[in-house]
Amino acid sequence: MEKRFGARAALEGADLVVAAGEVHALLGENGAGKTTLVNVLAGLVRPDAGRLEIGGRAVDLRRFGPRAARVAGVGMVHQHSTLVPAFTVEENLAFADPAAGRWFRPRAARARVEALRARYGLDAPLGVRAESLSVGQRQRAEILRALDRGARVLVLDEPTAVLTPGEVRALLPVLRQLAASGCGVVFISHKLDEIRAVADRITVLRRGRGVGTVATAATDARSLGRMMLGRELDALAPRRAAAARGPVLLALRGLCAPGLREGSALRDLELEVRAGEIVGVAGIDGNGQRELEEVLAGVRRPSAGSVEVAGAPVPLGARALRARGVAHLSGDRERAGLVAAMSVAENLLLKATWDDRRFFRRGRFDAEAAARHARACIEAFGIVPPDPERAVGLLSGGNAQKVAVARELAERPRVLVAVNPTRGLDVGSARFVHERLLALRDAGSAIALVSTELDEVLALSDRAVALVRGRLVPLPDGADRDAIGAVLLGEAPGVAAA
Amino acid sequence: MEALLEAALRLAAPLLLAALGELVVERAGVVNIGVEGMMLAGAFAAFAVAAATGSPALGVGAAAAAAVALGAVFAAAAVLGRADQIVVGTALNLLALGATGLALRALFEGGAPTAPGVADVALPGLAALPGVGPVLFRQSPFAYAALALCAGVALALARTRAGLVLRAVGEAARAADAEGVRVAAVRVAAVLFGAAAAGVAGSVLTLSQTHVFTEGMTAGRGFIALAVVVFGRWRPLGVLGAALFFGLASALQFRLQARGSDVPYPVFLMFPYAVTLAVLAFAAGRAQAPGDLGRPYAREGKAG
Amino acid sequence: MSALRPLAAAAAALVVAAVAIAALGLPAGAALRALAAGSLGGPAAWTATLLKTAPLLLTGLAVALAFRCGVWNIGAEGQLLAGALAATALATRLAPGAPAPLLLPLAALGGAAAGAALAAVAGGLRAARGVSEVISTILLNFVAIQAVAWAVQGPLQEASGAYPQSDALPAAARLPALGRVHAGVLLALLAAPGAAWLLFRTPLGLRLRAVGHSPVAARFAGISPERHGVTALALAGALAGAAGAFEVAGVTGRLYQGLSPGYGYTAIAVALLARLHPLAVVPSALFFGALEAGAAAMQREAGIPSVATEVVQGIVILFSVGFALPRRGA
Repeated sequence: MEKRFGARAALEGADLVVAAGEVHALLGENGAGKTTLVNVLAGLVRPDAGRLEIGGRAVDLRRFGPRAARVAGVGMVHQHSTLVPAFTVEENLAFADPAAGRWFRPRAARARVEALRARYGLDAPLGVRAESLSVGQRQRAEILRALDRGARVLVLDEPTAVLTPGEVRALLPVLRQLAASGCGVVFISHKLDEIRAVADRITVLRRGRGVGTVATAATDARSLGRMMLGRELDALAPRRAAAARGPVLLALRGLCAPGLREGSALRDLELEVRAGEIVGVAGIDGNGQRELEEVLAGVRRPSAGSVEVAGAPVPLGARALRARGVAHLSGDRERAGLVAAMSVAENLLLKATWDDRRFFRRGRFDAEAAARHARACIEAFGIVPPDPERAVGLLSGGNAQKVAVARELAERPRVLVAVNPTRGLDVGSARFVHERLLALRDAGSAIALVSTELDEVLALSDRAVALVRGRLVPLPDGADRDAIGAVLLGEAPGVAAA
Repeated sequence: MEALLEAALRLAAPLLLAALGELVVERAGVVNIGVEGMMLAGAFAAFAVAAATGSPALGVGAAAAAAVALGAVFAAAAVLGRADQIVVGTALNLLALGATGLALRALFEGGAPTAPGVADVALPGLAALPGVGPVLFRQSPFAYAALALCAGVALALARTRAGLVLRAVGEAARAADAEGVRVAAVRVAAVLFGAAAAGVAGSVLTLSQTHVFTEGMTAGRGFIALAVVVFGRWRPLGVLGAALFFGLASALQFRLQARGSDVPYPVFLMFPYAVTLAVLAFAAGRAQAPGDLGRPYAREGKAG
Repeated sequence: MSALRPLAAAAAALVVAAVAIAALGLPAGAALRALAAGSLGGPAAWTATLLKTAPLLLTGLAVALAFRCGVWNIGAEGQLLAGALAATALATRLAPGAPAPLLLPLAALGGAAAGAALAAVAGGLRAARGVSEVISTILLNFVAIQAVAWAVQGPLQEASGAYPQSDALPAAARLPALGRVHAGVLLALLAAPGAAWLLFRTPLGLRLRAVGHSPVAARFAGISPERHGVTALALAGALAGAAGAFEVAGVTGRLYQGLSPGYGYTAIAVALLARLHPLAVVPSALFFGALEAGAAAMQREAGIPSVATEVVQGIVILFSVGFALPRRGA
């Protein structure tokens, strides 16, 4: 089985060739074009140029939609679940299958899933709505669905991004087994150790271009890194010596909050962040990060406990927190409080409409002063293009994030809550954000960094804890990643079960 | 008491028909507030065709056709064109109001005739059952149709693959698309079905409840049908219950009025709308709406 | 391109309506001539046009303001009637007691307040119970219609009891004349820049627009979408209520059923044609005002029922929906 492919737009001359019975990894940084490439394969994106052959036969790309892809034997498991959340696993498998007939029979559907489970050794619970499944279970259900459709090429887009190290260890052998049964498995990742553990061959993309294809056995981490980044892998920005730590500026005391789903309710959180330190909160998405962020942003009401700033409890509300000097920076533009349709100048002032007399006086909004302020921020933070009236939605991800950073950090808040601040950013922009965070810390602010990127937490934090099933658990200092993984999963001794 | 229940079901029939149609539309993820206009168009078409041909059956067919024509406009603009669904629905209501008024004038200048009525049908044997008999089995055919439609929709949604597909499109259009479902086609089909139901519901007004057409005679019934869908939590049985509830309220209103009451007439007329508001305020319905309700869908990276 | 699209929409709607009329065998040519003459053909026609424009301007602003804040205000009709009702009640029942110069301002403010209160009910239901304001504002329209009917058949009915209408408003409560029209026309014209100033030059306006574009982002910025939704509806209701008060105080002189030929619904077309921009609502309202004024002439002279203009309104909306509306938040 061969697929040869080269396309333009987000991709410029990228090639990928996958053989039957192999696990083929697709490696590249964020934004290198990996997802776009496989989306073309799955019929979701139409390329501007290029050829696609499946099973030795060329495909008419003008007519190649998801249905055609499925018929051709391409099965895709996306990074974000494409199961219908309100449906059970068996309903999800049944609804789009034309061969299933006109009637939906629950028992037959269940039997079919059970047969698949037995045949491939993948477990996914029946009778439960997809939205209530764990991420790992959902993923397995999606793989089952692809196999059910007769996929001969199975594509997994960053499957391990949302799994714990233990779950990853369980997934990789499954991929090998699937390959052994004759499928071609394409596995997208930017985690070198996993790729080396399971892939036969690796194709590296950099900025939309194919850099080369190598056999795993014939390469090593350094050269792969070089292919991926175009230079030797830098160590992450070295952590500078922590400034002398000051008084406690942010404290969570007995904080409890209801959860969006199972296992994410916050339970009895105790945390202190001092002036001049960064405390990192690591964890896997779905363990309470969103709830914690929302409480610290003043958007969610805790059911018990309190948040203290400089020793005094803060009443609920985004405005109250801001008035006490707490800033909130998020990697998700909407959660960062950025309105895409409004201009840079307006976004910079969005949180200040209630009380900032420099721009809002006696019921009037001083647009000229706002524009001046915006230009100053644009200059100071290097926002491109330097137009205060430009809609934030038209800026690139990195520049939009700079607007958020400018807004939150320009006033030197004494407390900053940063949540996944570099999500979706390219390396340059991420580095910029990290540098600003470190500078803020050195100036004496207290920073709570909540991030699902373990590397980010470990690199920036003076102290780190983990958020596991809604509880805060200490992270072993400088331990090996498997031990940390165990803690994140809640497997370490001494951690109470859910 | 029996008379009251019988009247309740009879009055609920048009609401139930329109609400079931809208239920299917909303389970597919589309909000059509143009139900009002479609009912009005159906009422007029039924009236005009039945009066001209003497056949109520042709009238019902014309009603469905007229409403489906409006539904096609809605589908083109809101589903395929991805325009805002609320706005397009409003436009259709205005259009129907104006067009039916125009047509009334144009076609019946000299004075409108009355349309032939549709007689009740009594099911033999069953109609004689004590208690339940006269209520359920000696009813207008529209009531039977509405009940049958309710059962049909319930069965189709839960037990057919087409029903699953429809629900998938309404809950998570992106997921359905990724599975190769033609989201737009499903939604267009749902809209046309809902329109046909609304049209037939309108024909009840001019063929069964009264036998004339007056400008704007639907008077908000289409909007009450929308409320019935919410109140019924987007489930066929719930919609049935809600429609019966409103039918009962209307029947009570007429009964009290006939008995001669000190309450002024306009207050009576206010009653169904006020009750609807109260019901919406106290029944928390938002949480169970289909996930993608009201959001136009477009696959990223592909033209239209 | 920006002004062309609305112009094209309006023109196309007229063409389609004319074709429809002709297709029904009615005199389309005579209809259009009567329409033009009745709206633009002389001082009397212009007077009629301006008189119809004023309520459309205010209700159009009411709808545009609300839509921009992410709230679907389909209840301008009811809010207008509530305003008319309140103004009439205040003017006819307070007249003996209140000093004359205060009567008009009281009636106008009372009308605005009544419209705001009615809209706020829908806003409150939305904020507290998640009830769709589309449905609630429409239902409240019907409630308001019946409230007016009850009032003019009951407590507000004229002393002679002959017809279901209120007493005539006392002279002190009438809007002063301004040439051939009433002062309300001028006030309505001033409301447009006022609304624009509110939206773009005040902190409240900034917040309202933010909520309209992205309720999630607004919430994280410390702006409550629910509370601002109520505010937006109340402001809209006040504008529409004022329109109602001006109608009774400036045009009709008394309250009766059928006071509004659907201004509140036409207002939606007005707002959309203006692409929700307050200043553009002025020419848009003029267009529809001319249409309404001409429609009366059309009915008199060519026998086309004035309700035909609803067809034009519907088509204008359909042709206008290509424009970007603030994204409705989830």
